[in-house]
Formats: sequence, structure tokens, C-alpha cells
Amino acid sequence: MPLDTSTYNLALLRVDGRRWNELRRVHAQIRTQAAADGSSYLEMGHTKVMCVVTGPTEPGPRRGGAAAGGAGGGGVGSGGAGGKAEIVVGIVIAGFSSVDRKRYGRGDKRTLELASTVSNALAASLHTNLFPHSQINISLHVLSQDGSLLAALINAATLACVDAGIPMTDYVAACTAGSTSTYAANDEGADPLLDLNHQEEQELPGLTVATLGNSDRVAVLVCESRVQISRLEGMLAVGVDGCKQMREILDRVVREKGVRMIQEGTVEKGVGLGDIDMD
Amino acid sequence: MPREVDPSLNEKQFVTQALEENLRLDGREFDQYRPLELTFGEQYGVADVTLGKTRILAKATAEVTVPYADRPLDGIFTIATELSPMTSPSFEVNRPTETEVLLSRLLEKTVRRSGALDTESLCLVAGQKCWSVRVDVHALSHDGNLTDAACLAVVAALRHFRKPDTSMDAGVLTVYTPAEREPVPLSWLHSPFCVTWSFFGEEGETAVLDATWLEEQVRVGSCTVSLNRHGEICQIAKLGGTPVNAVVLLQCTGVALAKVKEFDELVDRRLTEDLKRRDKGGFMAELRAENDR
Repeated sequence: MPLDTSTYNLALLRVDGRRWNELRRVHAQIRTQAAADGSSYLEMGHTKVMCVVTGPTEPGPRRGGAAAGGAGGGGVGSGGAGGKAEIVVGIVIAGFSSVDRKRYGRGDKRTLELASTVSNALAASLHTNLFPHSQINISLHVLSQDGSLLAALINAATLACVDAGIPMTDYVAACTAGSTSTYAANDEGADPLLDLNHQEEQELPGLTVATLGNSDRVAVLVCESRVQISRLEGMLAVGVDGCKQMREILDRVVREKGVRMIQEGTVEKGVGLGDIDMD
Repeated sequence: MPREVDPSLNEKQFVTQALEENLRLDGREFDQYRPLELTFGEQYGVADVTLGKTRILAKATAEVTVPYADRPLDGIFTIATELSPMTSPSFEVNRPTETEVLLSRLLEKTVRRSGALDTESLCLVAGQKCWSVRVDVHALSHDGNLTDAACLAVVAALRHFRKPDTSMDAGVLTVYTPAEREPVPLSWLHSPFCVTWSFFGEEGETAVLDATWLEEQVRVGSCTVSLNRHGEICQIAKLGGTPVNAVVLLQCTGVALAKVKEFDELVDRRLTEDLKRRDKGGFMAELRAENDR
């Protein structure tokens, strides 16, 4: 069913009632799996993703092409040989995650591409050089898809890495941005949009941006639709701004969990943590 | 699985330090491509692209098949990439490496998803017969920047390709041999080209076009932009790597547009040259069965 974009100009409200610069409801949790080294659960609107991080551990027997961790495998770093930890990402997209039930095979190129992107994006932030000859396994499970899948995967993986206590430069926060006009229309009045849902992603040009922390530095930029070059700047600006909002949200989740853990006595309040605001 | 050997520390340092001093090992400018050559084969739809020491061969073929059940009005268009061990020992037959998966996804997004080929024009009988156009990409030699060369080869091969002419008469589909009727070109809508930037330096502040294999092994990140000459972005892929300032990325797309226009001119020029070469007796205009649009 095509998305009816004609009403947007009347009230400047999108199909789900948001304004152009609003994110969808983001709900995130960390340490959801007690047995894992690091884990997280993230919802961006109706996109729901679970992530489990194992490692850094000793690398297992060499993977022979088939990724051990499920449907999609992507790895950077050179494992045993180099002086850096290898980040192996496996993505499993549940068959029930989208409206039409679909099986995602192991060799699905799109999934492999997603896995490789998540792995490369995190490699830029994680201090992998501290763990030579080791491997960090990130296993992502997509429970429900409603647009901005790559962004949700990156955010969930970042949270899980924070939970696993792997040293990193900053959060890698991601979100999507789009534009209200189609690629052919050269209208100047086209608004950029923040955080596309599935319907908007199908109909409108959009891109996924991931930035490092609060900076303007873009780690991931993926655009899969046709769009006028003049529209890129606006979309990118909105996307980068959205990433900053997303970083605040992720940071809040981590801090709240930290405070709760100290209150519950799960962890000792460390020395040098005295200056953290504990409200 | 044999691994690609990493360059030695000395080599890495040499390359990066030279780049810091605004020098490349082969003496090129940062936004300069290696000598790019495009030749067409004797057959229709064979394009051979040489970019420095990188060489790609693309061959387009067409056959009549049954369309997919969910898309009865569309023809089938596939791009198959093959990186064989002759390109590099780390590539194995029938086991796609990450490089190959990313390359084929990129070509898919650039050429197929951007609607460069009008697949509806490949339909012969709705739901029963359609053309299946397939482009096979073979990397013959790998010295970096496979993406840009492969994309150029695919686009050139498809624009050069002619499929057999057909006619429908009282429910009977006739496919004519080249001897009976001159083959017809595909319905081509726009020509997208890939331009790959490689980033070097601590914060990816040095952006370099058309990296060689050694530079590719040393780079901290890359970004592939696909555009056509009308200034429409078909795809952008910066899949991780060291974060680069957003402004730098915007500038990169601007320069990429200029490069794409050069590529487009090159392909146009070579196509007209090839057409002249084939049109020996000057009969091509009369032999043509298609109408001007």
C-alpha cells in the first residue's frame, strides 16, 4: 500500500502523528541476560532488537566460512594473527519479525552486509588493540522490524558492549533521516524527516547515520534510495542531530542502570565514582 | 582458507607518512584516478575495464524465461560477481568472502535498485515469458578499487548489449536471430557510477580517490558514493570504519559528481566509437528495428 504523503503538507504531521524532527519512542535496557558478558534490549518504535555480547574471549577454532553465530557473520580485525581483537557479528532475523513471514537464510547478502557494517562501526570505537589474539562475539536478534533496522542494531550493539565493559571511545549512536519528496521532484519545500518507520522507508528517500558520541563525525552512512544530491546536506544534518539525541538516551539508560545496581548492592560503589550525580 | 598477507609495518608507515606529506606512492593527486580504459569485445555486451593494474570483465547475456510469480510484468535482471583465486589467493571458488558480498550488494544497489534498467520492458508475455538479463562480473586482476571499475564495467556492458529482437503475432512469440533482424538495445534509463573515497589519518581527514590495493590495506575507512550525471544519489555506503566529519563526506559527494560526469562521457565516447566501427557499410540505420524515442 503506498504511503499517502499528500496529507503531510496540510498539518505537517507524519503517518504516525510525529513532527519532522521527532524520534519514535525509544525503550532500552541493559543487562537483560544474566549469564552473558553483556546484553541489551532495544526498541525504536516497533523495531525490537536483542543483543548479547560474549568476550573478549580466546578465539575458537578458525571459522571456515560458515559463521558460528547464526545467519549473518561479519568480522573485522585479524583475530589471532594481528594485535587486535576480532569483532564477529552474527545477526538472526526472526521469521515473524516483519508483516509477511519470511525465512532469512544463512547466506542472505543483506544480513551479511548489516553484520559487517555493525562490526566495522564498533571497531572504530572499541579499543580492540587492548585485546590481542582474542575475539568479541556480538550476537544480534531481530524480533520485530519497523524501519531503521540498521540504526537499532548499532544502538543495541553499543549498549551491550558498554554492559560487557569493553573499553570504548564513546557511544556509537545511530538513527535514520529522510526527506518528504521523491527523488524526481525537485521541490525546495521538501522537509527532512527524522527516524523513518517502515512505511516511510519504503516510499521516501532516506539514509542511516551513526556518529561517534557527541561529535559530528560519521561512522556509518548508508543510503539505499535514489535522492537528489542537494537534499543530502539537510538529511545528513537532521540525521547527525538525531544521533546526538540518541546518544543522550543511550547514556541515560546506562547511567540509570548503574545507579540501580549500586543501590541494590550488586556492585560496590567504586572509588572515584563519588562525583557521579546519583539522583 | 589462505589469508591475505597484511603489508609490513614499514610499508604501512611509508604509505601513511607519504600521505601526510600530501604524496601518493604513484605520484597522483588525491582526487585523480589511475589511467582508465574501456574496450568492448567483438560480441555485444562485453566490456573490459582497466583501471591501472585493476582489470574487470563484464559480460551481459539474455535468455527467455518465465517471470517470477509475484512480478508477472517484470523481467529478470541479475548481476553475478565472481572473485576467483586468480585475482587474489584469499578468494576461493564458491565461498563468497566479505569483499565479494559487499561488492555484489553495492552493484545491486547501484544498478538494479536505482532502476537503471527498465525491467518492465523485458516482459514479453505477462506472467509467461520474459527476458532474463544477467551480467557476469569477473575480476581479472586486483590492484584496489574493484568497486568503481566493476560498476563502470557493468554499466558499459549493459549499454553496449543488444538483445535479440522479438515479435508477437497471433499469440506466437518469435525470437529473431541476429541474421534475421538486427538485435535491439536495452531500455536504459540512467547510468549510475560508483566513486570510492578512502580515508587516511587519525580522524580520517585525508580523503583519497581510487586507492590502490596497498592503500586499501592501509586505509582507516572508505565511502562509496553512486551517482548519475543528473546529480541523483543512487546509493551511499560508508560501512563503518574510522568516523569522518560530516562536512568532509558532503564535499566528497560533490567531487564524486564531477568524476561521474567524466565516466559518463567516457562511456558515451567509447560507445559511439564502437558503433562507428561496427557500422561499416553504413547500413546500421536501415537495419535498426527500433523507433527513436
